[in-house]
Amino acid sequence: MLSPKRVKYRKVQRGKRDGVAQRGNYLAFGEFGLMAEEPKWITSRQIEAARIAMTRHIKRGGKVWIRIFPHMPYTKKPAETRMGKGKGNPEGWVAVVKTGTVMFEMGGVQEDLAREALRLAASKLPIKTKFIMRREVE
Amino acid sequence: MNDTKLAGTLRKEDFGSAGARRVLASGRIPAVIYGKIEPMHITVDAIDFQNKLRSISESTLLTIKVGRKNHLVLMKDIQENVLLGKVLHVDFYEVTKGEILRANVSIVLEGNPEGIKFGGVLEQIAYEVEVECLPQDLPRNIVVDVSHLGLNESIHMGAIELPPGVKALIPEDTTIASVVSIREEVLEPEVDETDLDEDGADEGAEDEDASSDDE
Repeated sequence: MLSPKRVKYRKVQRGKRDGVAQRGNYLAFGEFGLMAEEPKWITSRQIEAARIAMTRHIKRGGKVWIRIFPHMPYTKKPAETRMGKGKGNPEGWVAVVKTGTVMFEMGGVQEDLAREALRLAASKLPIKTKFIMRREVE
Repeated sequence: MNDTKLAGTLRKEDFGSAGARRVLASGRIPAVIYGKIEPMHITVDAIDFQNKLRSISESTLLTIKVGRKNHLVLMKDIQENVLLGKVLHVDFYEVTKGEILRANVSIVLEGNPEGIKFGGVLEQIAYEVEVECLPQDLPRNIVVDVSHLGLNESIHMGAIELPPGVKALIPEDTTIASVVSIREEVLEPEVDETDLDEDGADEGAEDEDASSDDE
């Protein structure tokens, strides 16, 4: 699973996910991609699940790029704990995804195969997504 | 070379983001024509432009009629709403016939590489190339034959034959496409590499003590 090798601070503030992505909102490597239509934290487990779903569907046919990385640690208080007594313990890693972020890209495969693979990947994610592709001039 | 015609209306007032929103709401797209002339703010019909966008690229010469004058332009930049796919603004660059221009021309790969038979995947690295040429020599796209590419082989800019009068502005060793071998996925046991929880256990113990004190 994806996680940073080293971090400066173990716990971080939650921040906001308002607005539309101004960076990472275009296809940089592949011909097809999966764009987020909602803002959300995407956990490293969800990214991994989506990656596995995609790569298993395309088998050895194409190449996959993961454009998001879970840089941010999230914390959780233990069960049945009273409020207070400081921030909870780090539980895992999330990628902060804003509306319009291209999360996955794919290349070297036919459109229908890419569409199905990205649909399977999208089903592993907690947000609405849309399939995008490069503009082709007829 | 396909010349495509567009009808533009001069925009003399109602500028700024609020003005642009009003223009978009009225079914037109705000645009600008610049180059050797003074920048000219115009609007084009949204539906007409969106339909033409399927057949035009940054290397297509367009003719925009504003008033009685025809402007020969290239689409230089396009602002889009990434979610809705709607065009918000277009930049047109006026070209002068007989004068060298620079434009981005898209690269189209043709053929089925030999390396694919041996488990390779064709990867296109560059999707467009900046070229310098006269307006009449501007190609619609550059077709690159990749059928001879074997496994782990690449094709570079230097090996591509450009139409006469067209000069590429990127280094010759720029990779355009390559056939890469894909490693089979090996399922590894999960190992958490991060030492984030180094002192997490201690803190947890402290918390537990504290909560039991409370009770």
